[in-house]
Amino acid sequence: MTLSHVLMLASALFCVGVYGLLTRRQAIAILLSVELMANAANLVFIAMSRFRGGVTGQVFALFSLAITVAEVAVGLALVILLYRSHADTRVDLASELKQ
Amino acid sequence: MTPPVLYALVALWTPAIAALLLAILYPLRKKGQPAAVVAILGSLVSLGAAITLFTDRLHDDATHRLVVPWIGSGASTIAEVGVHVDGVSASMLVVVTLVATCVQVFSIGYMHDEPPEAYGRYFTYHALFLFSMNLLVVAPNILQLFAGWELVGVTSYLLIGFYFKKPSAARAAVKAFWVTKFADMGLLFGLLVLFAASGTFGWEPTLSPPVATAVTLLFFLAVVGKSAQFPLHVWLPDAMEGPTPVSALLHAATMVAAGVFLVVRANPLFEQAPITRSIMLGLGAATALFAALLALVQTDIKKTLAYSTCSQLGYMVAALGAGSMLGGFFHLTTHAFFKALLFLAAGSAIHAVHSNEITDMGGLAKRMPLTATAFSVGALALAGVPGLSGFFSKDLVLESVEGKLGNVPYAVLMLTAFLTAFYMGKVVFVAFFGKPSGEKAAHAHESGPSMSGPLVVLMVPTVVAGYFGATFAKVQGEPYHFAFGAGPATASALGLAGIGLAYAVYGRGPRAAVPAPIAMIDRVAKTRAVNRVYEWGFRNVTLVLADGLAFIDRYVVDGLINLLGWGAIEGGRKLRPIQTGLAPDYVLAVVLGVVGLAVWAVFGSWR
Amino acid sequence: MNSHLLSIIVAAPAIAALFVMLTPQTAKLAIRVWSLIGATISFAGSLVAIRSYDTALGGLQRVEDYPLVPSMGVHLKLAVDGWGGPLLVLTGVILFAGVLASWTVKTRDREFFVLLLVLTAGVFGVFVSQDLLVFFLFYEIAVLPMYVLIGIWGSSHKVPPKGPFKFVWKLFDIGGKQYAAMKLTLMLLVGSAAIMAALFVMYLKAGGTTFDLGVLGATKYDRQTQIVVFPLVWLGFGTLAGVFPFHTWSPDGHASAPTAVSMLHAGVLMKLGAFGVMRIGMVILPEGARFWVPVVGAVAAINVLYGAFAAMSQTDLKYIIAYSSVSHMGIVMLGAATLTPAGWNGAVFQMVAHGIMTGLFFALVGLVYERAHTRAILKMGGFANVMPAVAAFFTLGCLSSLGLPGTAGFVSEFMVFLGAWKSGHYLWAIPGVLGAFVTAIYVLRATRTIFWGEGPSHDFHELSDPKKTEWGALVILGAGLVILGFWPRLILDYIEPGSVEHLGKVLAPVATLARLP
Repeated sequence: MTLSHVLMLASALFCVGVYGLLTRRQAIAILLSVELMANAANLVFIAMSRFRGGVTGQVFALFSLAITVAEVAVGLALVILLYRSHADTRVDLASELKQ
Repeated sequence: MTPPVLYALVALWTPAIAALLLAILYPLRKKGQPAAVVAILGSLVSLGAAITLFTDRLHDDATHRLVVPWIGSGASTIAEVGVHVDGVSASMLVVVTLVATCVQVFSIGYMHDEPPEAYGRYFTYHALFLFSMNLLVVAPNILQLFAGWELVGVTSYLLIGFYFKKPSAARAAVKAFWVTKFADMGLLFGLLVLFAASGTFGWEPTLSPPVATAVTLLFFLAVVGKSAQFPLHVWLPDAMEGPTPVSALLHAATMVAAGVFLVVRANPLFEQAPITRSIMLGLGAATALFAALLALVQTDIKKTLAYSTCSQLGYMVAALGAGSMLGGFFHLTTHAFFKALLFLAAGSAIHAVHSNEITDMGGLAKRMPLTATAFSVGALALAGVPGLSGFFSKDLVLESVEGKLGNVPYAVLMLTAFLTAFYMGKVVFVAFFGKPSGEKAAHAHESGPSMSGPLVVLMVPTVVAGYFGATFAKVQGEPYHFAFGAGPATASALGLAGIGLAYAVYGRGPRAAVPAPIAMIDRVAKTRAVNRVYEWGFRNVTLVLADGLAFIDRYVVDGLINLLGWGAIEGGRKLRPIQTGLAPDYVLAVVLGVVGLAVWAVFGSWR
Repeated sequence: MNSHLLSIIVAAPAIAALFVMLTPQTAKLAIRVWSLIGATISFAGSLVAIRSYDTALGGLQRVEDYPLVPSMGVHLKLAVDGWGGPLLVLTGVILFAGVLASWTVKTRDREFFVLLLVLTAGVFGVFVSQDLLVFFLFYEIAVLPMYVLIGIWGSSHKVPPKGPFKFVWKLFDIGGKQYAAMKLTLMLLVGSAAIMAALFVMYLKAGGTTFDLGVLGATKYDRQTQIVVFPLVWLGFGTLAGVFPFHTWSPDGHASAPTAVSMLHAGVLMKLGAFGVMRIGMVILPEGARFWVPVVGAVAAINVLYGAFAAMSQTDLKYIIAYSSVSHMGIVMLGAATLTPAGWNGAVFQMVAHGIMTGLFFALVGLVYERAHTRAILKMGGFANVMPAVAAFFTLGCLSSLGLPGTAGFVSEFMVFLGAWKSGHYLWAIPGVLGAFVTAIYVLRATRTIFWGEGPSHDFHELSDPKKTEWGALVILGAGLVILGFWPRLILDYIEPGSVEHLGKVLAPVATLARLP
């Protein structure tokens, strides 16, 4: 296993995440995609730490993990509010500010 | 400040004070009569000062001046104003103030039936006119002359349009102003050229021939307008819409003579421009004949006199063009007296029969002997009958014109003299002799003393002014000689012949059939060709240009601005759909942006 | 130097506005009295300022300098030079007359007077500012209230359009006061944007330490910069001065604006534009000015004739006078472009003369409109029979407009023509003189249509001569025209040193300026 393998895996994961972000309509699915993108980035950080040495990558990954947790908490709160007002979690329902 | 300067200042400013008082103090004007008193008082004082000034000139031939900076100051003064006393200004001042005073006194009776406010307004304008005309006459440079020139134009506009309720009067006033204003551009341009070439607005500088010609030609354009020479004569007949005393003062004796006065004043400049003089000679003679022909076919007594004025101004212009400053100026003087007399006498007749048409008059000599005498004396003078003033001045004119331009102008002016005598004879015989043509004429009666007095006063110079030719010439500093030679004899003969022919045709009352040559001229005159050209030009050039430019301004220039505004709003409208309000679309935008940045970062750094 | 007179003149209207804001809406007389007090203080102050100016000494006098942002070099520096005096008096007169002419404002009068006073404070400030940024600040203060003043108190749709293109009027709401207010403000702000750009270039290229006009004027900018920046200043300020083709805000703006606003705008604000071109553009960027003057003069000549002809075609009384203003501002710019003392004196004199004349016209028009409820001259006729004084003052205004000697209009126009002729630009003088002739045509035609003839028709019930306070504006302004016409030296003696001094800076490298016209 080389660095390139991990990077390719991480890119693949990231792209899958982006695809999901752009095309899924359900809010939870979008949150999952965002998780995927975040984890792909974490993977790159750890891989850099593993193959190039130094502990910086792992530190960054831990930070990123903490922030992701906070972000998921907020995101889930929004999903709950969305569900409460529309009885559905489709993202295109939140369009009342549009003219 | 020498006494002559003082007299000149008094003559100048008393009418101004009168005008100012009348303009500001409405109660004075409202009552009517007080306004007349103030105005006439101002004119009398002015007249007194003018006469004193003139008698002073008889033994003092030095020039007296007083100027103060008007525009600018110190070393950078652009324009000065003040008074300039010499023979020319002193003589003209007497003429102007005398005729003005007579006319104002005449107006007391003539305008008696006007409502008091209008009466007051009338005399205010008269005071303003007298000030303006004097400003012109005593001007120490051509700039102040221009100022007076424009101001008399305005008072003319106000007085022609005195009966502003009448659309025809309103139109006539505006027309007079426009025609003269067009011509005045010549005076303005001439002043600019003069100043650029010589650094002054005076008439003394020596200029190079092309510049002198340019300046004098430009000045002459203004003369053509103000003195109603062909082709800018069209405003003068229409100006007869004003009250008759106004016609007498402005449009016979003084204002229209201002053009001639300008040439007299700027004689040193015109001496340097023989080309201009030749043009003046030709145009003056042509106008004299043209106007005399038109006078033949008029039945309105005022229009006849108007065309006659135009014709006589042509004589003056021709004399000046021939190089005789004295000829032009002397004729101006005598003409002022007898033409004013003629107009006032006509006014008296008009007042009696309530009509301008000579066909409504008839036999007035029996009922209004003084008026008839006055008119006849004036007519004889105008016709150049020997012994009266017109004879002497006309002779000077003819003498100066003799031998110039192949004697064509000379012949033309001789012919015009014949025509002049004929049409004046016609008026005299039809209006004053024969039988009264209607009720009004039958019951006409002589006017009151305020109207008769001026007639008597004006008859005096009409008769005797001619004998003072030598004095007049001396005051101007010009040589004078008069001999009853072939020229004067021919002219007199023609004059008498004209009167005789008029008697033959009209002596026994107006004929039922109009003589053939007159009918022919009448047909041509009725086409109003010159007027039509101007009217066509105004409608199809000026107004079309105006509407065109306004259209361009509203729809093209402003249209572009409106287009910009519309474009901004439309552009906004078209762009708005980008804001779908849907979060995924915005996310897409962010992702695209990041991709773009990444690409730029990676590939940009390879350069 | 310690008298604070200029601060008083600038601040008085603003402080009066404050007092007006504090008076209740119902105290109508109090509102007007406070406004009048503010106007009187400024007017009196301006008279003191002009009479106490020492023409022998020249230069800047009554200098007041308060640092505002010292690190950037922004000072509230006020001073009066030769030009300042007459222009301050002009503003004072028009403000005073304008307040009198607005006595009969009906709705929300408190806000109206507040805005009017604030606007005028800005104008006073522009004429005495010696700091470029503060100059611009006051300039904006003078321009921005126009939007509200026209949008709320203006008048709309008074003369219906004719012709095949009248759909355009519906499309854009042309003739409506909202349209007029919007167009005026936006165009003037675009001009301001250009000015601001130029302003910062001038500031930065001079070292970025000071906005002082004197220092900037002495700075030698490189030729390229000057040639690029001068048009920005010319067209930026020129938009306010009605320079073709950026003048189109003016007819609609003046026509829709309420009387006092039109008086102030056409009478004074448009002069701000020309003043900016001369005082800022030409003095600070002399090489740029000398390069561009042929264009400036040519455009000015176009202004004169174009404005006059367009005026001839109008049938709405306010539009006639508005286009007449465009034409007469052309004379100002023409004088400025001649770069001669006579031309510059004429330009500044015309600022004053035309300001008074147009103030008079709009006051008269306001009067007529209030009584006749129409601005369509073709419906009018014979008004002189019932409004002789209005007719007389209108005629006086017309005569000054066409440059009759004895009125102020002649002095300014003649000096400008003289300057144009002497500078060798004959092609400028010719349209100028022609313009005066064309002006004579349309003003007299308008007078005849409105005032002469039979009438007035029975549709008009309220026509009458001026009453009480209405006389004030007419008499002051009319007298001003005649007095300045007969005695131009009253203000010319102050304008002259100002012109010589500023023109000297413009021409300095090229020739020594002898004191000759």
